Amino acid sequence: MMKREKKKKKITLFSVCLAIVFLLVCFLMIVPLWKVFVDSLDLHTAYGMKMWPKKFGFDGYISVFTNPTLYQPLLVSVITTIAGTFIGLILSTFGAYVLIQWEMPGRTFIANMLLFTMIFSGGMIPTYLVINNLHLTNTLWSVILVPALNVYNLVLMRNFFEGIPVSLFESATIDGCTPVGIFFRIVLPLSKAALAAIGLMFAVSYWNDYTNYKLYITNSDLYNFQMKLRSVILGSDLPIANGSATANTVKNAATMVAIIPFMILYPFCQKYFVTGVNIGAVKE
Amino acid sequence: MSRNKKEKTVVSTKPLRTRIYIHRWFYLMILPVLVFAIIFFYLPMFGIRYAFFEYKGILEPVFVGFENFKKMFSMAGFWSAFRNTMELSIIKLIVNTGAAVIISLLLNEITGLKFKKAAQTIIYLPHFMSWVVTASVFALILSPTQEGLVNSFLTSLGFVEKGAEIYFLGSNRWWRPAYYIINIWKETGWGTIIFMATLAGINPEQYEAASIDGAGRWNKMRFITLPALANTIITVLILNLAKIMNLFESVFVLQNDAVVRQSDVLQTYIYTQTFNSGALPNYGYTTAVGLVKSLVACALVLICNYASKKVRGRGIV
Amino acid sequence: MRKFSKVLALTLVLTMVMSSVLTGCKKENGTEETQTKTQTQGATPQADQEAEIEKPKKITIMVDGTLFTKANGRDAFEAKWEELSGIDLEIIQPDHDAYYDVVGQTLASGDWPDAILLSSTFYSGYAEEGVLWDMTDFWENSELKASGRINNEAITDSLYIDGKLYGLSPARGNGCITYVKKAWLENVGLDVPTTYDEYIAMLDAFTKGDPDNNGIDGDTYGVSSAGLIGVEAPYTNYLPEFYQDAFPSFYKNADGQWVDGFSEEAMAGALGRLRDAYEKGYIDKESLTNGTSDCRNKFYEDKFGVFTYWAGTWATNMRTNLEANGFDGELIPIEPIKEVGAYLERQAPVWCVTAKAENPEGVAKYFIESMLDGGEMQQLFTYGVEGTHWSTKEEEVCGKIYEEGQFHMLENLETKGTQYTKNHIDPLLSIGNFTAFEDPGAEQVTADTRISQETFNNHSKVVQLVPSTDVMSQYNGDLTTLKREIIANVVTQGISFEDEMKRYEEEGGAEWSKAIVDSLNAK
Repeated sequence: MMKREKKKKKITLFSVCLAIVFLLVCFLMIVPLWKVFVDSLDLHTAYGMKMWPKKFGFDGYISVFTNPTLYQPLLVSVITTIAGTFIGLILSTFGAYVLIQWEMPGRTFIANMLLFTMIFSGGMIPTYLVINNLHLTNTLWSVILVPALNVYNLVLMRNFFEGIPVSLFESATIDGCTPVGIFFRIVLPLSKAALAAIGLMFAVSYWNDYTNYKLYITNSDLYNFQMKLRSVILGSDLPIANGSATANTVKNAATMVAIIPFMILYPFCQKYFVTGVNIGAVKE
Repeated sequence: MSRNKKEKTVVSTKPLRTRIYIHRWFYLMILPVLVFAIIFFYLPMFGIRYAFFEYKGILEPVFVGFENFKKMFSMAGFWSAFRNTMELSIIKLIVNTGAAVIISLLLNEITGLKFKKAAQTIIYLPHFMSWVVTASVFALILSPTQEGLVNSFLTSLGFVEKGAEIYFLGSNRWWRPAYYIINIWKETGWGTIIFMATLAGINPEQYEAASIDGAGRWNKMRFITLPALANTIITVLILNLAKIMNLFESVFVLQNDAVVRQSDVLQTYIYTQTFNSGALPNYGYTTAVGLVKSLVACALVLICNYASKKVRGRGIV
Repeated sequence: MRKFSKVLALTLVLTMVMSSVLTGCKKENGTEETQTKTQTQGATPQADQEAEIEKPKKITIMVDGTLFTKANGRDAFEAKWEELSGIDLEIIQPDHDAYYDVVGQTLASGDWPDAILLSSTFYSGYAEEGVLWDMTDFWENSELKASGRINNEAITDSLYIDGKLYGLSPARGNGCITYVKKAWLENVGLDVPTTYDEYIAMLDAFTKGDPDNNGIDGDTYGVSSAGLIGVEAPYTNYLPEFYQDAFPSFYKNADGQWVDGFSEEAMAGALGRLRDAYEKGYIDKESLTNGTSDCRNKFYEDKFGVFTYWAGTWATNMRTNLEANGFDGELIPIEPIKEVGAYLERQAPVWCVTAKAENPEGVAKYFIESMLDGGEMQQLFTYGVEGTHWSTKEEEVCGKIYEEGQFHMLENLETKGTQYTKNHIDPLLSIGNFTAFEDPGAEQVTADTRISQETFNNHSKVVQLVPSTDVMSQYNGDLTTLKREIIANVVTQGISFEDEMKRYEEEGGAEWSKAIVDSLNAK
């Protein structure tokens, strides 16, 4: 690995162009974010783009973080995100693994049955009635279980599993491995990049979820972080008579705070996206 | 393709009972998935019957036959929303996926690991800004005054005269291009994740072998990287087709009265029907619109899946 | 591989821990419920002395975010309410955003609350569907009606549908009033406008002159608005001076007939005025895409001088924000110009008893009517709970010092650094007077808030309640979209009113409008 990288470090015209292109792209990506960031640190309520805050201060962030009602939602978010991502990954890997068993009787039926769920839905009220009859409303189970089966992610996962060389399965079967053994010993370890990518997709959807909370949770003790932040952001429409942080500053600070967890989480997933990690790991 | 053929030969040799027995573990593994599908997707699907009822969510639904569909098909607003949904979401899908593929391929060429990670992270962040905030920030960037970055930039280049700035979001000529660009800004980085994960699965030996054969950067991309991505690209495109009719929030926060004809999609149409009608929402009607949406999505997926089968030998599932 | 199994083991442990946390949550709720039940059982005996109406043991209510939320001490409110009434209260308070979705779901599930808060659209819709209990007789014989505490009969009168009453509003609905920056008026040497010509002259001066005294002419403009027309009644409230007597929706005219104001002569005039002002730059160029917070921020940045916005607390709030930005914050809430006559007041949300309530009289009497008892209950609904939301102790709250015995609101539990202003009922909008004691909060209202609210209250009329018909739910969604599109096209896109009205005919707008008018008149 190290050697290869050093060899490539020659500066070519291509790499210079590439760097310029990405600097430009990143610049364009940052401009709108920068506006939110600057406004979150500016105590002077302003309309318009600015390079720097006119009246610098952390009051926006202070009022978001000193909000004592934010800790319980944070806990709810962490719990549901971990549990949901875990259950979601179990369902999508199990499903994906079964869907690559081309010889299994009923495979096509199962595949179509799953795909069908992506396209047709009964609508808001019928879904609510089912959840309500299962006594899941106002429990965290509703927001964990309802989004856990995600056929989109399941099919993407299947797509990754398909890339695993068939020879590996065959030799493992000859060695006396059961299908479950193959799943845990070969399929999962070989699919770290996929697990990272799809796990991230699950985690993000659980963390950002507010639709399900809105519909199934009326007990505000069980609200998640996103619900709270949204109420801070939308709540800036309420008249707030005093305090040094203006509603606008608080709103932008809350937006920045919502982005932070993903800035922290992403690098952990990124390392699985690096070319070559995958196959090499198996050969060790 | 070869796998498909192999499957057929194997299938014919073993009796069904044996094949079921061989796969007994797999049935056990799929069981929880099916349980979830039945409880959370198939049970509520009985609600589809409301498409044939007048139902306000309170008292007993009244059977009205095809009335809801008749009304729907007679409304100009429905048809314009239907066309817009198709156009907006298909173009958006192609443009977004294209941008994500290009960025992934280029990211893959970056050799400096730190630069690559930093670029990747920056491009991915906009996904986490809510649409409400995104809309207000872009309303400012595209503002029809000298305060709008785009207009002041165009003025300095001499394309736009001062005082005659372009109202990008309030003009029926510019709204759509602006909409696509905002979507590219927000979703490209997120779209790259699945492609980056696919690229991670390419065996580096392939590149090395190609280098030895004297293949340049361009040929390696064309003959190794792109084919490896093709499968994922097609899967992503088809899977997203199943969801295109659900386009809502991005349009909802960016649309305004002047661009209704260019922007109103089925979901925003349903929203207006529900909350601006000055009366109780008729869930029967919205279910009927939803059913039509689902049928169209279903047709799109089936057609594309069929095409994919013809071209590649198998469908996406 | 080994690493992976470790991760797996760890996640397994985590899920186990979490599942215990989840079930833990449920258990806690359960015990809470039983506790409150036992509490109230002890308190019921007092009830027997009351008149014929039986006192309910428990009342379940559904309310949006206008009552103190859980994070803002709702539990204290609930405890105090139960103490005052001796009734067990269960509050269902869905997220503000999804309130009507959850109301719909709850009604569909058959598990109806006893009392429910509804906006005027849902009030008339649900009344039509038979969801709401008819309280006409109850109200006629009610103690509150006879008490003389009601200071505004018009509010309750406006809630009658076909001669029947299905709910009560404890407060007025409020509306928007036009604020003018005093310093700007002085800088351009004009007086407060009283006619449309004077209003336009003021906008012209604000747009072409130098009202903010920064030495540059023409870097400001007259007025801004979030959209050219509102999404709900009273629709015209953000730009009343231009709309004047034009109303883009259904109303009952002087002859008692329902008509659609959109196709009346007045609308052509209104759109002409708007178009003219938009072309001349008096109205913010971005009015189509503005959100309300965009307008406010521009106002605070001193970009424009006239803003029609909510009366009451916002007056103080806007001043504070302007001053924080270093501008002169003095605003004049002007009386409506001659052509406008009266500002439009929105229909207030309505408290209703559902038809499935076991003891509707009891719920109406002990929950809804008691909100305006002129004493402690009204104080609870207006200001909240002593010690949690308000206090009379000597202390400092948010930088303000209060003496012993001086009534003041406490610091917001959720948003630190700000003070509460009210609970469910705004004291300046309440339709019931305090009788058991003086309004305790009367003195803490700032002059800005009071003046703007009083000016509004004295110069406004309540927008009519439009009953709901089947034809309306069929066509009004499409019709509204078409009307809004026409307004936007005429005002901002340079298309003539005549051409657009032709399109209105062609695309069925006129036909839908007529069908709805007929259905309203046939009722």
